[in-house]
Amino acid sequence: MIGVLIIVFIVGLILRFPIAFSLGFSCLVYVLLAGIPLIVLPMKMYSGIDVFILLSIPGFILAGNLMNAGGLTEKIIGFCNHLLGHIRGGLALANIGASMLFAGISGTAVSDTASIGAILIPAMKKEGYGAGFSCSVTASSSTVGPIIPPSVPMIIAATLTGLSVGRLFLAGAVPGLLLGIGLMVVAYYISAKKNYPKHPRSSLKQVGRAFVDTFWALLMTFIILFGIIGGVFTPTEASIVAVFYALLIGTLVYRKLNFSNLQSIVLDSMKTSASLMVLVGFANLFGWILITERFPQLIAGAILDFSTNKYVVLLLINLLLIFVGTFMETIAALLILFPILLKVAIAVEVDPVHFAVIAVLNLIIGLTTPPVGVCLFVASSIGKVSLTEVSRATMPFLAVSLLVLVLVTLFPDLALFLPRLFMD
Amino acid sequence: MNQTTRLITYLLRLGTLLSAAGFIASTLIQIYARFFMESAPSWTEEVARFFFVYAMSFAAGIALKDHYYVSLDVFYNRLNDKQKSRLRVGISLCTLVLFLILTLFSVQFIVLGIPEKSPSLGLTMALAFGSMFIMGASVSFYAFIDTINLLKKQS
Repeated sequence: MIGVLIIVFIVGLILRFPIAFSLGFSCLVYVLLAGIPLIVLPMKMYSGIDVFILLSIPGFILAGNLMNAGGLTEKIIGFCNHLLGHIRGGLALANIGASMLFAGISGTAVSDTASIGAILIPAMKKEGYGAGFSCSVTASSSTVGPIIPPSVPMIIAATLTGLSVGRLFLAGAVPGLLLGIGLMVVAYYISAKKNYPKHPRSSLKQVGRAFVDTFWALLMTFIILFGIIGGVFTPTEASIVAVFYALLIGTLVYRKLNFSNLQSIVLDSMKTSASLMVLVGFANLFGWILITERFPQLIAGAILDFSTNKYVVLLLINLLLIFVGTFMETIAALLILFPILLKVAIAVEVDPVHFAVIAVLNLIIGLTTPPVGVCLFVASSIGKVSLTEVSRATMPFLAVSLLVLVLVTLFPDLALFLPRLFMD
Repeated sequence: MNQTTRLITYLLRLGTLLSAAGFIASTLIQIYARFFMESAPSWTEEVARFFFVYAMSFAAGIALKDHYYVSLDVFYNRLNDKQKSRLRVGISLCTLVLFLILTLFSVQFIVLGIPEKSPSLGLTMALAFGSMFIMGASVSFYAFIDTINLLKKQS
């Protein structure tokens, strides 16, 4: 029976069903075949969504969109360009830097690729950077977003397992910074080799002015992060404080928010969140079926029969997650696989917070893994470059991302140092 | 048909906006109460969750209408136009079936919730469970419109 559930789900994905509906339809087929009362559908959907911490997802998405309405993307890019533009390949470095700063505001990779890419890919091409390189830098750097806090995948991981969101946010910070720095090193090396342009050094005054422009947005990240870590707010409260703060800044400082664009921003954020929550609801039902069928124990048994060595098990999990992340959307993959694989990881004594970082890192690397990495698609369509060209140019960045993954897997302290420092 | 669609879309948007305002306001009250009042009210979290589930339910249908649900395009792009069109009809129909069943059985779910009371406010849980009916019905509605439009195009 479990085979039917999984086959229907995969066939649905291949046939271009929205991932959420593919999950729902496979559950429906299973429930009908197993003779389970159909009332389980609304019951499990409701219990999956009716979780206070999930409220932080529309909160963070709305806060990010409100901030962005004030032309924040341009301001962040401008600041990074003033800071890094004088180095060879400065615009590529600014692209990565902007993604790292933007990460604190948006929390999703695809939106980073779309918003930063729309400005920087044409600008980079105009300055003489290779089209494939421009797209691959944008796509690769946007994967930093979901690991640097606030991170939507981390909130989902916390919801699934009861781990502390604050701990997970902190655990993602160092790996996120490592990933960003690693990508910058590769971008600089390629730029120096291909003699890509650099800008004249900006004066301290110009850097300062650009910093003031972005200051209010960056402050939001600090309010969220330190509010949660300091125990001042719960993550949900922090997201709503961020909304309130973004409303104030958008109205009083950036002066770009009015009643009509506020409505469309709220609607846009709620539609994005609703598409995620339908996914969360169906994934709750899917997960319930898997547990009923003792599927997590089956997988755990199979992996642990193969080896009980911590590193062999982590290697197997890493390979599985990268493969899945290549095909499946991050949140969907996390919802389905994280609770199952966490059991295996705990069995070989991996810290759950460390494992959450490994899982999210794997899945976001999948976003830029050819042939179906979602961010590659978005970047190639913005840059009007073939997917093959972007995929080829992405390889060095992918290599450095994998290196960071290996480091984070082998050295748990890279993830656990900050949570221990601030929260123990 | 167009007028009905417009009215339903308007109502769903209004429901989404009001529910979003509801969960933002109740969470802000919770924060305010914790810092500035002697004791924080116990109902704020429950009300915030209630509005949140409703906001998501109202927005689920309009998210389908505006193509917010993510899907994989890999194999789809290899099909010819006729195959693509047939496949889209099939997807719309399956979506319709899935959400119609959700809608129908959410009525049973609502009935189950009538005797249950929410812990803080003491309201009947049927009110909260009603959100699943709205989610099912709104997605079914746009899946139905989509199916009709696709079939019209095909013929």
